[in-house]
Amino acid sequence: MPDPLLIKLKTLVVETLRLEDVIPADIPDDEPLIGGGLSLDSIDALELVVRLEKEFGIKIASSEESRIALASMASLAAYIRAHADPSRLPA
Amino acid sequence: MLERWITALSTEDPGLEESATTRERLKTRFPRNATRRMTQLGLLVGAALEPLAPVETDTLVYASGYAESRALEDYLDSFPSASPTLFQTSIHPSAVQQALIIRQQSIRQFFPLTGGDYLPAQALQVALLADTPRAILCGGEERGTWLLAQNAASDRTFAFALALSTSPDNALARVTLNAVADGATGSLTLPGFFDTLHARRPFDGFVAPARRLMIEWL
Amino acid sequence: MSALLPPIHLSACGALTAFGDENASLSAMLDGRRALAPLPVLGRDGGDLVPLALCQDRAFDETLPPSWIVQLRALAQRIPGEGWGSPRRPVFVTSSNFGVGSLYAFRREGNPAHLDHGTPFRCIDWIASELGWGPDVTTFSHACVSAHLGVLQASRTLAAGLADEALVFSFDFISPFVSGGFHSLKILNASFPAPYHDGATGSIGLGDGAAFAVLTRDRGDFTITAQSLHNEMHHFTANQADGSGFEACLAPVLAQTDGRRLWLKGHGTGTIEAGRLEANTLGRHFPGAPLVSWKGALGHTLGSCGLVELAIATAAIRGGRAPGTVGGAAPSFTPDVALAPVDLGAFDGALCTSNAFGGAHAALLLSHA
Repeated sequence: MPDPLLIKLKTLVVETLRLEDVIPADIPDDEPLIGGGLSLDSIDALELVVRLEKEFGIKIASSEESRIALASMASLAAYIRAHADPSRLPA
Repeated sequence: MLERWITALSTEDPGLEESATTRERLKTRFPRNATRRMTQLGLLVGAALEPLAPVETDTLVYASGYAESRALEDYLDSFPSASPTLFQTSIHPSAVQQALIIRQQSIRQFFPLTGGDYLPAQALQVALLADTPRAILCGGEERGTWLLAQNAASDRTFAFALALSTSPDNALARVTLNAVADGATGSLTLPGFFDTLHARRPFDGFVAPARRLMIEWL
Repeated sequence: MSALLPPIHLSACGALTAFGDENASLSAMLDGRRALAPLPVLGRDGGDLVPLALCQDRAFDETLPPSWIVQLRALAQRIPGEGWGSPRRPVFVTSSNFGVGSLYAFRREGNPAHLDHGTPFRCIDWIASELGWGPDVTTFSHACVSAHLGVLQASRTLAAGLADEALVFSFDFISPFVSGGFHSLKILNASFPAPYHDGATGSIGLGDGAAFAVLTRDRGDFTITAQSLHNEMHHFTANQADGSGFEACLAPVLAQTDGRRLWLKGHGTGTIEAGRLEANTLGRHFPGAPLVSWKGALGHTLGSCGLVELAIATAAIRGGRAPGTVGGAAPSFTPDVALAPVDLGAFDGALCTSNAFGGAHAALLLSHA
């Protein structure tokens, strides 16, 4: 059964970063998000952080912490689960 | 007297074309997926620079009065959750950086200017004082929205790039900038300078206090 | 390249920081003091506390007219000579942010009077009018290397015989527009900057800054004997990982440094990767030369940093002692990073460097005339 949080996060990535020709479901779970096949860079990562902070009420304090959280879609989902208010997670 | 020769010229005049249309029109001239973060001004300056093929040993001079108006508007609208992309993009001289970073093209000497009625004169002086065989002078504006409604942005969108060489070989025009001591003055705005280049019009007149510009097309 | 320009003289140089003028800034930093204090990143709109250094009595949230004009008027009163802004005495203004605080205030409050100071050229026109300058005012804006561009163009203008003297005037005053932006980049956060510290995380502080320099062909007790620029155009916020950008900027000035005993006024904002590359590159070319950064005390004064720090460097040379890297901490990236003040008796010049977004680099060689 697809993870609803992963689906939501992948959709957020495509929307926030205006990725043309990318279907959310096609984003791999475990490949590097930054510097990987999507050609995202550190500025994309920071833009995602702003969106994620707003969406889930989390706080990522530094660029180093964002790098860890955004290592892959799977690690991002784990980070959100660990730090977000459960009421803001998709059912 | 400062003198150089225009050996290449590229202009972009999209009129009232909206940013999304410019992106769609120009995206094949940039690497795939590279244009999603580019501003309209960045796209147009990049398109204007492309045929001139800047190299590291060129001097690059960039002139814009209002620079990234739309990124500035959108960045201000993004508060309190300030957008890092828009912050970065709104900082002068983002348009040139967008164009050259995409191509990973380093430049040794880069002089971004801003200004008003004397901006073309000042940018030309910087280019003509360059110590490199070729100086590229580029610039432009992008039309604003709510800043324009407050007369705080350009009402036109355009971009240009010209190569100024110390050699007259294959020149399109001769450019001279004379320092004149007699107290005469005048002005030439950036849109006016663009129109002169775009139409390949000759020019002879004062463009700033004590600065007389001549452009003679060959 | 630019390294081949004839030497240019500094006949006057002064700065303004949150500590006061260049001598007050020097004295404070020799005592190891910081001007940075935790303030809400968005001013009256609140937000996280981040290290900022504002000039005394200056409001962070923009007023009408901008509160920093008081500081600029006071600084400008120290500029010797008259007729600035005339063709033979041109002014070169450098700033990264100009009046963006007023743009932020307009968007927040809706009062269009703020826009009289918001756009760069309206801001400069207003400043020129306030300070009594003529129309010959050229404005450069390239983030944190802006001041170096002004100095280099002023030098070229003088060398070409187009001016008798040239005034370079730099300023950058912090506003929520700027602090919000750096905060969004996650490099302006709760931690205070520790330049060149080899740690797990890095962060910067921001500070108000303004400075002036009068350049001449033949008068003044300091000379600038080499200047260099380089722009990597690799990434907006990152440098080439091999340090080649830093190397490329230094290359043209190295010949001028042979046989010299130099100390190094670095850029050192407190970020990790850039700080490491900068320190390692300088250490490779100038082993044993003490490297200092003052941004841990003053905050990063952005477009004005090159000239603010140049003015403080001249004051340090006059006094015989340079502040160390205030806020820095061991371990540093290289053993040459000076955490404590440096006695300058053994040195005959300073290499002053700045770096900026887009991988921009600038360097100049400062000597006593």
